[in-house]
Amino acid sequence: MHAATTPTATRIDIRGMLWTLVRTDFKSRYHGTIGGFVWALLKPALMFVVLMSVFSLIFASTPHYRLNLIVGLFLWEFFGESTRTGLISLQSKGYLLTKARFPSWILVVASLSNAAITLVVFALTFLGYLAAIGRAPHAAGLALFLLYLALFSLIVVGFALGSSVLFLRYRDLNQVWEVVTQAGFFIAPIIYPLDIIPERFHIYLYLWPPTPVIQFSREVLVDGGVPTFKAHLLLIAMAAAVFAAGAAIFRAWSPSAAENL
Amino acid sequence: MSVIEVRQLAKSFWIPSAKRETVREHVLHVFRRRSFERLDVLRSVSFDVQAGETIGIMGRNGSGKSTLLRLLCGIYRADSGSLDVRAPLTPILELGLGWNPELDGVDNVMLIGTAMGLSLREARESLDEILAFAGLERFAGLPLKHYSSGMAARLAYSVAFKAVREVLVLDEIFAVGDQEFRARCEARYRELSARGHTVVLVSHEPRIISTFCNRALLLEGGTIVLDASGAEVVAEYSRHMSGR
Repeated sequence: MHAATTPTATRIDIRGMLWTLVRTDFKSRYHGTIGGFVWALLKPALMFVVLMSVFSLIFASTPHYRLNLIVGLFLWEFFGESTRTGLISLQSKGYLLTKARFPSWILVVASLSNAAITLVVFALTFLGYLAAIGRAPHAAGLALFLLYLALFSLIVVGFALGSSVLFLRYRDLNQVWEVVTQAGFFIAPIIYPLDIIPERFHIYLYLWPPTPVIQFSREVLVDGGVPTFKAHLLLIAMAAAVFAAGAAIFRAWSPSAAENL
Repeated sequence: MSVIEVRQLAKSFWIPSAKRETVREHVLHVFRRRSFERLDVLRSVSFDVQAGETIGIMGRNGSGKSTLLRLLCGIYRADSGSLDVRAPLTPILELGLGWNPELDGVDNVMLIGTAMGLSLREARESLDEILAFAGLERFAGLPLKHYSSGMAARLAYSVAFKAVREVLVLDEIFAVGDQEFRARCEARYRELSARGHTVVLVSHEPRIISTFCNRALLLEGGTIVLDASGAEVVAEYSRHMSGR
């Protein structure tokens, strides 16, 4: 017999709680100082400057390659950090879960904020740089890049939702994921151009979510092209599938999250 | 009108003969069978709580009190039976434990206040009142890691008392802080009760149950063995504890 449990939820100010989680997370990460706040915003911009300077020396003859490399590295950084923090989000805020009843997805989504802020600062810096060198993307390219970021975020949220509840049952999942992401760095064409891999293998590389996002972003930002309509549909389908799978796992297991803490 | 309706509620925990909490353990021992022992924490518990009523729950350690409260609050999920809570509920459970030690008092108030149902605006507006109730105005900017356990608990109860909605669920509420703080909690509790809030209260202390609860339940081995007045339940609980 299944339980018909219907405790009336206390109304939660979701936006207020989300903001408080993001703000306090940011504060504990950067010790609540103005310098820390400025550093958090400057870090991705400074990283961009450092990488750009280094790559300008090493890859002076291949400007496309260095821009592609930077796009790949930053998108990868977002994926790596957000999946890492999302995976441990419920466990690290477990003290709230055992004391109050609120939609626990808030904890997962809030945990992705730092990676998202870094990505936004990078995107603005990179677009500013492109504009400064006279290679600003066309409006459609910019809109598509924003679409890729939104789909990438959907993928990351889906992963974080699913993995955060699984981590409460499998306590070494973060270590397993670390190994997977290390391998994944080389599966995604970040430091090498996709063309050096025989075309018949491309389909497998595209199954790894960062690959299409990185490739498509490069195409609209650096190459000035637009991926095919079918490619877009496949990316949308992938994002929807990852999100749906993560949300389904979360829906099934999050009600018992407090019991596994 | 009953605001809480519990029918044949049951909750068990499965205790494995060998713990497997990692992917590695699951993979390495995939062919090794393990047995599970079923621990029935609650067995077919049924009761109603009327609007405005104060009901106490007593029982030995391990009798299922805390599990019952967690089920009422929606923190745990029942295995079977039905549970209907018809009004917004504020849990005040084990609040002395588990804050973010790196954050100061103010940020912890905001964090746990919004998690307990205060809007961000309410939490901001009530900040001074919450700190004053806890007697911690001077320490508001101090990280929680420098608080004593009593100070942290006082802050937690102050937030929870501010966040109170229609139904209040309290676990060992009056076992926290010094005498002055307990007196303040009791006064606040009486005020809420007089305003018509429904209260479910767990305590080991006979004085608390007989003073505050017009009705109480005695839990033993996961079932209700007595549903009577506070005074009667206290008397029976004392008999149980003295082994008579």
